[in-house]
Amino acid sequence: MLVDTGFVDVQISRPHDTFGEARGEKKARLFDVYGYTFLARKPE
Amino acid sequence: MSKELAVDPVVLREEVKSKYRDVAFNPRGEYHFHTGRPLAKRLGYDSTLVDSMPDAAVESFAGVANPFSLRSLEQGERVVDAGSGAGFDCFVAARQVGAQGRVVGIDMLPEMLEKSRKTAELMGLKNVEFREGLLEQIPVEDRWADVVISNGVINLCGDKKRVFAELWRVLRPGGKLQFGDIANGKPVPESAIRNIDLWTA
Repeated sequence: MLVDTGFVDVQISRPHDTFGEARGEKKARLFDVYGYTFLARKPE
Repeated sequence: MSKELAVDPVVLREEVKSKYRDVAFNPRGEYHFHTGRPLAKRLGYDSTLVDSMPDAAVESFAGVANPFSLRSLEQGERVVDAGSGAGFDCFVAARQVGAQGRVVGIDMLPEMLEKSRKTAELMGLKNVEFREGLLEQIPVEDRWADVVISNGVINLCGDKKRVFAELWRVLRPGGKLQFGDIANGKPVPESAIRNIDLWTA
């Protein structure tokens, strides 16, 4: 969706185990859910 | 509701408000996600910076990643935080952009806005302000921001296409979008996607 909107130079971080040991961990593990940082640029 | 949307954005918004109102009032409650200082540490925020903040600035933090991990902000930049919650990322941003920079936090919850404004005052921050608004209709003028940040909020919006269009609108050409959010590695069944209770559970 970032690219569809027009953003360029998209970078994605390594995954963060955002929900590890939290109560929601079971559902997060079920669907392999992790947190990521995204960086993108709006072209000039 | 558009046929393209999996859930009704208005209904989803009310669910999200209910959940995060609890986080504002009861930050140490039991949630399906981590909060506060332990979460900031888990996500790799600058511990010296976080340790220097009062509890009120950190305790309701409920992000999912670190928007500053791929790029730190530069002095003097103008920043919009889309979905600022109790203001934690705005306070980090305020320190990074310095007195010549400016940070505008946008949130839809009056309870979060009240908390973040009080904390900004407590911290003596003059370069931060908080405005009530939706990510689908951000109360910021076109091309104002050098940087838009966000953390764990876009995934809670029903109409993501419209949200990204708004993020694009408020950014100046050449501006950066840096945000934290979740992604699933395994496909989620259609029935689960359409179950609004699972969006915030």
